[in-house]
Amino acid sequence: MSEIPDISTIFFYIITRGLPATLLLTAIGLLLGLLLGLSLALIRLYGIKELQIIANAYEKLMRGIPLLVLIFIFAFGLPTEFFWYIDPLFRPVYTVILALGLRSAAYQSQIFRGAILSVNPGQMEAARALGMSDIKAFRHIIFPQALRLALPSWSNEYAIVIKDSSFAYAVGVIEMTRAGYRVSSGFPQLWSLSMAIVAICYFLFTYPITRFVGEGQSKKLKKLGMGGG
Amino acid sequence: MIFQNIPEPIDELIRVLGYWDYIFSGFLITLWLYGCALILGFFLGLFLSIVRTYGNRFFSTIATAYIDIMRGTPLIAQLLLIYFLPYSLNIPISAWSFKANFVMFDKNITLILLDHKTMISILALSLNSGAYQAEYLRGSLMSVGSGQLLAAQSVGMSRLAGIRHIVLPQALRRVIPAWSNEAAYLPKYTVVVYFIGVSDLFSEGYYIVSRTFLTLATFIVIAIVFLILISIISKGLDILHEKTRIPGL
Amino acid sequence: MNKLVLKVDNVWKSYKDLQVLKGISFEVLEGEVKVLFGPSGSGKSTLLRCINMLVPPDKGNVFLRGQNLNEHGVNINAMRARIGMVFQHFNLFAHLKAVDNVSIGLRRVKGLSKEDAREKAFNALKSVKMMKWADHYPAQLSGGQQQRVGIARALAMEPDVILFDEPTSALDPELIGEVLQVMLDIAKAGTTMIVVTHEMGFARAVSSEMIFLGDGIIEERGSPDHFFTNPKSERVKHFLRQLDILYGSHEKLLQPLDEEDFK
Repeated sequence: MSEIPDISTIFFYIITRGLPATLLLTAIGLLLGLLLGLSLALIRLYGIKELQIIANAYEKLMRGIPLLVLIFIFAFGLPTEFFWYIDPLFRPVYTVILALGLRSAAYQSQIFRGAILSVNPGQMEAARALGMSDIKAFRHIIFPQALRLALPSWSNEYAIVIKDSSFAYAVGVIEMTRAGYRVSSGFPQLWSLSMAIVAICYFLFTYPITRFVGEGQSKKLKKLGMGGG
Repeated sequence: MIFQNIPEPIDELIRVLGYWDYIFSGFLITLWLYGCALILGFFLGLFLSIVRTYGNRFFSTIATAYIDIMRGTPLIAQLLLIYFLPYSLNIPISAWSFKANFVMFDKNITLILLDHKTMISILALSLNSGAYQAEYLRGSLMSVGSGQLLAAQSVGMSRLAGIRHIVLPQALRRVIPAWSNEAAYLPKYTVVVYFIGVSDLFSEGYYIVSRTFLTLATFIVIAIVFLILISIISKGLDILHEKTRIPGL
Repeated sequence: MNKLVLKVDNVWKSYKDLQVLKGISFEVLEGEVKVLFGPSGSGKSTLLRCINMLVPPDKGNVFLRGQNLNEHGVNINAMRARIGMVFQHFNLFAHLKAVDNVSIGLRRVKGLSKEDAREKAFNALKSVKMMKWADHYPAQLSGGQQQRVGIARALAMEPDVILFDEPTSALDPELIGEVLQVMLDIAKAGTTMIVVTHEMGFARAVSSEMIFLGDGIIEERGSPDHFFTNPKSERVKHFLRQLDILYGSHEKLLQPLDEEDFK
């Protein structure tokens, strides 16, 4: 780019070159976090003591180290043979997804645990009195309500993960932040502005969701009178 | 494949720990950045939360907008935005710094306590942390209940005095659990300063890697230091919470 | 001679150091309505939960139509499906509409098809006069309406006996009547019921036997007539007097109160 890009060019570049990677990192990272986090939550609530200790330790570990350290360990710390099954081109993306997912799992475990525990205990009693086994009661009565209760916190976690995906910048992935840096790299006078535009792009993907899914759901839940065990 | 490394890890860790003076200085810088950001962020957060809860609509909206924007955008973008400002606006940057120098176990340790980059880092971290702390503080302010302020006004206190003497003490005690969350995990976020070249714990780690090429061992050591730091802060705050407990609050 | 439905045999239960139930035994025949009453903390709710094994007793057994519920290897879920329970705080499934609340047990526990379950659910709702609100969520219903749905939920399972745990205690006074009316109707229709309540009017109308539970033991038991004309134990007399003051036979209130009544 030899001519000075204007605001719309910068914006366009960030969205077209950076957004796909950002969304990919976020979506798969969250999914990984969801599957693992849910499992951890169930283990911590209903599992045997030994597994609970492991799950607890895992959570403490993931909450205690910075995401960047985790990313660097996966991206540069492990011998290259470790990810033999991934095309070298995708390794940076893969390592970031792994780091994001493993970290998010620790937080999502907390979210789901809290949600399950906050379902009114009378619900479980009534389900068992009907003759439902604990598993059936969990599947049909507790879990559906817990999901709804978890939604506000979960939308918050989504916002955190998409913002954290900007750390992929450090390992060379072309997500939104790096795209913003690239498009203006030759023009110092635009550096600040392009970062502002990057910020706006992230904002467009976080604020609407956290505001309306998170809060709207809270109001809906209050209307249904759920939770608050 | 990976098993080739197993016989050597202890040796690697020892070699990394040979750079303990770098690790230590990085740790102190991280601690310094964290402390400044936490405290400055606290006052900013306090101010914002009071404006949001008790201020008139105009200022309250501005405060809310600030909080939403800071929480809705990545810390990296915020940091870089502020950092690039002088470049973008063509303001010359003078090279100044406040350093601290001391000797420990025959190693000379120099800490850059304040220079251009460190100042920007503290600024960005404080602005960000302030927004998050404002949310927690607002929650606890609101949980105190309007009855308390009404009672304060009914004995003749002004609104401001009522906030200061009645609502705030209660709110501050109530916010300790949520605030502990932020306080314990803020050190993790200080690593963003790596992107602008401040020598915090993470950056020193990176330096050690560039010298030793022992990537895994180094970052594991760095991770452990963070883990210990955060655990200590967490535990300390839990004890504080116990000691300041008031029944019924 | 009516068949034996439920036999509670020497049930003991303690929580930590507190002995809540101390050897409770009684039998319930088909079509009977047993009313359990007594001061709070006397273990009435615990007893109900021991009957359907939500809280297994420390000692003693419960027999449902001859089957020992406390036995090793018994399918307790299948047994519970034959015992209905109506809760003080309704415990309707908050995420399900009224009709689904009633049908979910039929579908998920008894394995009925969706259509069959729905049909039975509607019938149950009809019998508690809640057909109009079948598509409402619990939060959209008043307490009395919720409790009636709760009764329908128990009825739909066609249980051998229904346990009522203070079904009207959490209701506003003007809503108690509609629930009691439903309970009277199903009692008259021959449902076997064990009811923990202080609604003495209900007890007087339909109960076959009243059991006074105090301090974890059965202090006195007998027909309603027995209790309301000539109770034997002092404690029972005292308790009934307290209820009288609470529910207002106003002549008593106008008489000068002695200290006894404030205990």
